[in-house]
Amino acid sequence: MTDGERARSRPSVLSPVIGLGTRAATATLRPVAGVVEAAAGASLRLQRRAVDRVLESDELERVVIVAVNSAHIQEALKLALESDGAARLVDSLFDSGLIDRVFERLLESEALWHLIDEIAASPAVTAAISQQGLGFADELGDQVRSRSRKADDWMERAARRLVGRKPSVLPAEPGAGT
Amino acid sequence: MSGVPAVGVGLVIADPVPEQQVAYVGLVTRVISFAIDAALITLVDIIIGVGAALILSLLHLPHGLRIVLAALGGAAAILGSIAYFVIFWSTTGQTPGARLMQIRVRTDDGQRVKPRRAVVRCIGVVLAALPLFAGFIPILFDSRRRGFQDRFAGTVVVEAPGPSIAEVSRAKKRAVYEASRRSPPAPLD
Repeated sequence: MTDGERARSRPSVLSPVIGLGTRAATATLRPVAGVVEAAAGASLRLQRRAVDRVLESDELERVVIVAVNSAHIQEALKLALESDGAARLVDSLFDSGLIDRVFERLLESEALWHLIDEIAASPAVTAAISQQGLGFADELGDQVRSRSRKADDWMERAARRLVGRKPSVLPAEPGAGT
Repeated sequence: MSGVPAVGVGLVIADPVPEQQVAYVGLVTRVISFAIDAALITLVDIIIGVGAALILSLLHLPHGLRIVLAALGGAAAILGSIAYFVIFWSTTGQTPGARLMQIRVRTDDGQRVKPRRAVVRCIGVVLAALPLFAGFIPILFDSRRRGFQDRFAGTVVVEAPGPSIAEVSRAKKRAVYEASRRSPPAPLD
């Protein structure tokens, strides 16, 4: 019998033994596995309760405020925002098409148009628009007045030149009068 | 062309202004002012005329009576135009066109134009316009830019700078806002 033949015949001889060992191990460890599973569940519930307590406590608020006000954190954030990685992140965000999808969804949203209607109809906006309209009319009026005064002077000079009369001293500048 | 009447208006300024401080208004500005007034008067005439015609169309009136009514309507339009200028010149001081162009009519000595003088000026405007508007040509040569109607009625047309419509509107809104801030809110029951 060659070595190869001996090796091929070994599994068939050992397999009952191996199967027996596996079954014994499974039977032995089954209660332990249940205990471990129960312990893991209890641990998870404990963690959740702890997180809830932390979130409900005033301490978290204090920690957040201290962290936000921390010079180190602000400096770190500044460095992070100025880094090439942040720029690449923003580029990838836009390249991903996510922003486009956000705007597409926004434009399809009824709530957005309702909000726009509300803003457009608000007294502050209508007042601002009417003021802008009046401002435009004002500007137009100023232009017309300014040009008409120039035309007054021009026409007077032209008429005097036409009849060969000496130009008179022009009246005071517009706005200087009564 | 009839730029002159627009300029007018009863002057609110009571004190005579020293000569060197007065800026007299030329022909072009006065024509624009009058054109604005003419547009306003025409618009009102059209609205009234169309309304009257619609009402009369429902009535079966004889032809002769229709002619009389048309003549009366024309006379009313002319009187309305005269009243427009006389009232604005002698009350608010400026016609709407003059207000937009920031000009005003006052007497030679800087006083407010009284109704009688305003009527005389209206007649002067018509007389100035009759000879192919030749009565307005002196505005180009007179040292105080007076036309025939100004000499006839003893008036001048001067600059009247003032706050614009937008500035007045803003000032009103600001006043309302400040008043609302000063007054405490009403207590709730």
